[in-house]
Amino acid sequence: MRATLLLHICALLFFHLFFFRATAQNRTLTGTVTSKTSNQPLAGATITVKGTRVATTTNDGGAFTLSVPASAQTLVISHIGMASQDVSIPSSGSLVVQLEESASARLDEVVVVGYGTQRKSVVTGAISSVRSSDLDNQPVVRIEQALQGRTSGLTISSTSGQPGSASTVRLRGFTSFGTDKNNPLWVIDGVVIDAGGIGYLNQDDIESIEVLKDAASAAIYGTRAAAGVILVTTKKGKSGRLSINYSGYYGTQGPSKKIALADATQYATLRNQSLVNAGKPAAFANPASFGKGTDWQKEIFNYSAPKQNHEFSVSGGTDKSSFFTSFGYNDTKGVVATPVSTWKRINYRINTLFKPAGFISFGENLGYSHSKNSGVGEVNREFGGIVNSALNLDPITTPYISDSLARATLTSAQYSAATRDNDGRIYGIPLYVGQEIKNPLAAIHNRLGNYSWDHNIVGNVFVDITPLKGLVLHSSYGTKMAFYGSESYTPSVYYNPSTSIGQTNINRQETWIMNWNLENTISYNRVFDKHNVTLLAGWGEYSDGLSHGATVQYNNIPATNFDQGSFLFNSLPTDRQNSSGSDGTLHRINSLFSRLQYNYDQKYLLTALIRRDGSSRFGTNNKFGYFPSVSVGWVPTLESFFPTGNVLNTLKIRGSYGVTGNDGIGEFSYVSLVGAGGQRNYTFGYGPNETVNIGYSPAAPGNPDLKWEETRQTDIGIDAVLLTNLTLTVDVYKKKTVGILQNPFIPAYTGYYSSFAQNFDDIENKGLEIELGWRKKIGEWNVGVNGNVSFYQNKVTRLLPGQQFVEDNSATFQTLGNITRTGLNLPYQQFYGYKALGVFQTQKEINEYTGPAGTPIQPNARPGDMKYANLNGDNAITTDDRTYLGNPNPTVSYGLTLNLGYKNFDFVAFGSGSGGNKIFQGLRRLDIATANYPTKYLNAWTPDHTNTSIARLVDGDPNGNFSRMSAFYLENGTFFRMRTIQLGYSFPKNRIGKWGMQRLRVYVLSENLFTVTKYSGYDPEIGISPDSGGGAQFGIDRGSYVAPRGFLVGLNVGF
Amino acid sequence: MKKDLLYILLLAAGAQFVGACKKELNVNPQSRIPIENFYKTEADAFAALVAVYDRFGFQAGGLYDKASIMDVAGDDQLAGGGNATDINDLQVMQLYTLNPTTGPESYLWSRGYSGIYRANVLLSKLPGIAMADATKKRYVAELKAMRGAFYFDLVTFFRNIPLIEGTVAIDSIYNITQTTPDKIYAYVEKDLGDAIPDLPVTIDVSKEGGRMTQGGARALLGKVLLYEKKWQAAADQLAVVNGPTPGGAASIYGYKLVSNFADLWNPNNKFNSESVIEFVHSGKSNGGWADAGASEGNLLCITTGPRSYSQVKPEAPDYFSGYSFLVFTKDFATFLHGDPRYAATVADLDSLKAAGAAKYSAGYNNTGFFLNKFIGRVSNKAANTPELNFFQDEYEIRLADTYLMEAEALMNAGGGVGVGSRAYTLLNAVRARVGLSAVASVTQDNIELERRKELAGEGQRWLDLVRWGKAGTVLAFKGFVAGKHEVFPIPQGELNNTKLVQNKEWQ
Repeated sequence: MRATLLLHICALLFFHLFFFRATAQNRTLTGTVTSKTSNQPLAGATITVKGTRVATTTNDGGAFTLSVPASAQTLVISHIGMASQDVSIPSSGSLVVQLEESASARLDEVVVVGYGTQRKSVVTGAISSVRSSDLDNQPVVRIEQALQGRTSGLTISSTSGQPGSASTVRLRGFTSFGTDKNNPLWVIDGVVIDAGGIGYLNQDDIESIEVLKDAASAAIYGTRAAAGVILVTTKKGKSGRLSINYSGYYGTQGPSKKIALADATQYATLRNQSLVNAGKPAAFANPASFGKGTDWQKEIFNYSAPKQNHEFSVSGGTDKSSFFTSFGYNDTKGVVATPVSTWKRINYRINTLFKPAGFISFGENLGYSHSKNSGVGEVNREFGGIVNSALNLDPITTPYISDSLARATLTSAQYSAATRDNDGRIYGIPLYVGQEIKNPLAAIHNRLGNYSWDHNIVGNVFVDITPLKGLVLHSSYGTKMAFYGSESYTPSVYYNPSTSIGQTNINRQETWIMNWNLENTISYNRVFDKHNVTLLAGWGEYSDGLSHGATVQYNNIPATNFDQGSFLFNSLPTDRQNSSGSDGTLHRINSLFSRLQYNYDQKYLLTALIRRDGSSRFGTNNKFGYFPSVSVGWVPTLESFFPTGNVLNTLKIRGSYGVTGNDGIGEFSYVSLVGAGGQRNYTFGYGPNETVNIGYSPAAPGNPDLKWEETRQTDIGIDAVLLTNLTLTVDVYKKKTVGILQNPFIPAYTGYYSSFAQNFDDIENKGLEIELGWRKKIGEWNVGVNGNVSFYQNKVTRLLPGQQFVEDNSATFQTLGNITRTGLNLPYQQFYGYKALGVFQTQKEINEYTGPAGTPIQPNARPGDMKYANLNGDNAITTDDRTYLGNPNPTVSYGLTLNLGYKNFDFVAFGSGSGGNKIFQGLRRLDIATANYPTKYLNAWTPDHTNTSIARLVDGDPNGNFSRMSAFYLENGTFFRMRTIQLGYSFPKNRIGKWGMQRLRVYVLSENLFTVTKYSGYDPEIGISPDSGGGAQFGIDRGSYVAPRGFLVGLNVGF
Repeated sequence: MKKDLLYILLLAAGAQFVGACKKELNVNPQSRIPIENFYKTEADAFAALVAVYDRFGFQAGGLYDKASIMDVAGDDQLAGGGNATDINDLQVMQLYTLNPTTGPESYLWSRGYSGIYRANVLLSKLPGIAMADATKKRYVAELKAMRGAFYFDLVTFFRNIPLIEGTVAIDSIYNITQTTPDKIYAYVEKDLGDAIPDLPVTIDVSKEGGRMTQGGARALLGKVLLYEKKWQAAADQLAVVNGPTPGGAASIYGYKLVSNFADLWNPNNKFNSESVIEFVHSGKSNGGWADAGASEGNLLCITTGPRSYSQVKPEAPDYFSGYSFLVFTKDFATFLHGDPRYAATVADLDSLKAAGAAKYSAGYNNTGFFLNKFIGRVSNKAANTPELNFFQDEYEIRLADTYLMEAEALMNAGGGVGVGSRAYTLLNAVRARVGLSAVASVTQDNIELERRKELAGEGQRWLDLVRWGKAGTVLAFKGFVAGKHEVFPIPQGELNNTKLVQNKEWQ
């Protein structure tokens, strides 16, 4: 392999050196292209000398420069989404062209497909595109957020409002079990990136995003394409004049919501209620004496957290070379615990292309990013996170306590270890709530300075050679290299009687990863008569999983804060210096693929392809998988018999079927391995002969028949243009994954160290997607509306023989145990628990609620306790009485954009939402009786307040009112969020032209202005939690970081 | 020129198609060992044997083990800890609010079955391993003795359990069914009976201490028979362990009561003459919090320690500040007070505090009476993560226990119980060792009192109460329901999708 690679590179270099030569110049023509509808300059319009290959494109200011042969007569001006125009070349002076918008022409956009581009009119797969114009000036910093609500088929939820946090992306439902296997494949300029690694991308650099939804489109990425493929193309330079752009915004943000929690008086009252109901004395003689107490949310919230973003780019080119280079900077402060919640990223990008001769081009795309951030710790976690502490800490505790009180109530050791702010004031010690719940202010203080960082270098070099007309040899080598790590200091600290840290430490972690892929393709395109044929063959090789990491920790160092912490304390005794290393396991894939694209007169369309992938994760029995697909299309509106009229301008009917694969299972699962150490060691002997012997025992049993998981998908769709300005795309699909790779739960009586891997379960998704676009000029007004909506249903259609359900990847919640379960013939990961039938009002009702034996089913119940359905008809409420309670996963998602233009003003409103799901509202710690209460508990049953569905509060909860999973915790997750509203003003060109400017626009923008929802937590949008116990479904709220609401002002300048 | 280059290029591209071959997909397994490369040498067999011993002395990552579960289940100790859910498995055990999803049963269940699996794997591989026959025989015997011990624990706790004799094939995982307790007992008796002749009578404990011996297996067999109420058979086995002169000369296995009771709890006094089966712990394994269950350290030493303890005066013990679990009830402290074993058994922290000798902070359900047998000491702490790496061992069976068991078996078998009888000698040897006068005869009451005092905090009380049929009355105050709580619920996970049936007490 190495040798061939070398040969390849040498061959390419040879070409590069040889063919740098200039061509003769002709007459130079300049001009500008603008949109007739909006009067705005059109960037990226193509100007071709008719009948030749002499062409250029306009820059961001709509201007172009082209050297035209003296003999040339006519230019063809074209632009995506516009009707093309033929224009005579003026004998002198510059040219001004106005293009008109055309919905039909929008079907003629070029879309990026795997290993190439295709005109949208002849695409037969289900592909949704997002253009840079849709993303401009959106105040998001991650590409997943940029995609949210933009296309059909995607369900995207952020996992946290913390700046820079990732979102969960699911394309057409759940393709498999687990989390990683449901992440779509990201391909950035041809470089395959794992889902977690796309945070480096600056969305300002993105030219377009294509979402390959059906199997026929995605199968060319056979390997990991089952969960869909998202292709991202970054901006390239255009030939023409140099274009210099700046865009930026600055604004402030605040939490979009505050949760209603009991105040100190209400807290004391509820605590008394709960204690008295348990037969214990009330704890608070006079609840009203506590007043309102501390509002912990207010203590950690920041309503003016600044956020800024700046992007500076320069691009340009000639017909021999072009470049795009940009520098971006983002600095976002969190709206919660701002001192320890910040995110900064710098980006640098340089994309270049050289065309030394007509038959060769080569170039590179390279992005570098560096981010440095500090986070509040847990993303969505109930054990000691800052947000969760604010929700659960009693409001009687005060933010600070006086020195005299601290001396009186704490032991000397506790007193000296209590956290003090920079002025020496002692943070209040929780009075009633213990365990991991801390004074969030103290927790913030003790994280000051801690940060994590990363450097990403992602890019590729490529060469295209066209030795004959229509034949293109393409070769690309891409890598993703990343370095990331963290630095933290932990003080010796006393938080509360059960949480204290005995010794200080400093910790440094660093990891390096290197993934690469190499792809070579040959394609040949030939047009004869009305036949248009493109053949593609290629091979690719992919490598990931390589990583090296190291962690160093020094314990008990003489430092009291982060700044003093240092690894210079290396004279510490060795037993206070800990270090460990880590290595990843290489994962290799190699592939062969070929594709035929054919159309007859753009009327009858066909694409067929096959890919063969081999994976290092499978044994020799099944190392290779074959992934075929075929798609066809027909454009009846081009038929002569099709009635011409004004209603249906264009119609394309398409259908596809294909198979994609997934090798998402741990390395070496196909072979039985013997594991060593850890829970296998034992000690023999004593004194000098005492030996801790390293034990060996089998790890998971191997499965040599392990093979690719296969996703088979059928898609039928139409693309239509109605009434000249209404575009409509509809897709229906059925997607079935068979032989899901998994490590099933196995009973412990087998004694296996861990579960083995196998292909067994099947899951099926069916869905409907609609995308609509409408654009019209009405008088001085330009109006545009774009909307999309997607529905899906999924169902697990096969489990192991005899299995009725699986609890792999189930979410767990404190003492409730598993709260989700996947049942046979039911959607993936449903909420699972007890069915509540209401509240017992009298002892008589309890006594009369009997089983077959005639004895009370809930003997521990008292009036006010929850009545549970006895589903298995026995004599008690047991785990067998649980049932499916609802779906955590949104089944419908939609987005809506409204564009308005009036003279130089522009207005965009964009919102999106989802629904059909329930959210588990787990904001209160169940295992801490003294935790604070959300206000809904004020409605709990008491003898004086019986008309309620909320059971009585009682410490110990003998009837399991709150310590059983039930619909009490579930809320409707449907919501609509107004994501952005933007109002801009562009200065007229005649005013700014004299300063050399092409564009000067100012705008104001609101982010997350409002959310329509019935959900009582911070945010109905809850992605899959990265923390353990989070499960593989959406919608478990453990007190996640609130989404920010922001107001920004921005500026776009172009020269 | 252009054409030549084209050919070169096509050649290069073509070569790459050929290059896409299988060998690129064979990645280095690095530290991983395929099973077929293992089980070849004696060193492999030893390492595999060690993994079985690991389960024998296994502690849950949640910081408890079999002894702590039994302690909090009994009447003399409370779970304690930091709060009502600290080590929740122990809390629900203490209150008898455990259920098939919450409680320590999963630990007990998986400890047994993973031990059995590891033993079964090695037993099946041993015939093919090149090593001396004598060593091989010894390994087989050790494996069977431990397998017997695992099954004995499982049948004691869960009663209706599956008998796994080999390894379970992947395709029959979900088809396993339970068998009857008598079949399990028969299997245990056979395993132990097979093991005894091939186990060494004595070993060099400085090197091999902790490994199964003939005395250990025989004591275990005696205990099994006692639990089966096969009194005479039990007494016969235990008699060999205890030797002809209880309290006097050592038995053939070298067993003899340690003269000073308190020395039993000196961590440096490992494998003493009273130790029959010992779970070994080490301070050298560098156990960490990432997997506390993998530490070789004794977790009892940290869990039993008083919270925020500090020594004020030198006469106070140098306890390592711990988590205040397994505290004795005030009733028990009162009951044992005055007994010569009191000081070694109970640490009275409130007295120390009152005397100004030490400070500590009260944990949950604090009584002030701590389990002195195990509290870790600063002087014994390990260098790294000291809380998880105390090296004190635990007795699974010690001689005072086998003395009392034999006495009980003899009494029940109808043997003599008065002065001069063997049962009398056995019981009173345990008393005499701590300087107590002899009781007149061996009675059920005397046995019960002596076992409660002698073995306090060693995980025996609950087992005794259950086999004596007294748990229902003695433990009623804790929530124990007679006819239900004598048996543990089978963990819910074992029932999901399998053919196992929950114990009827828990249905």
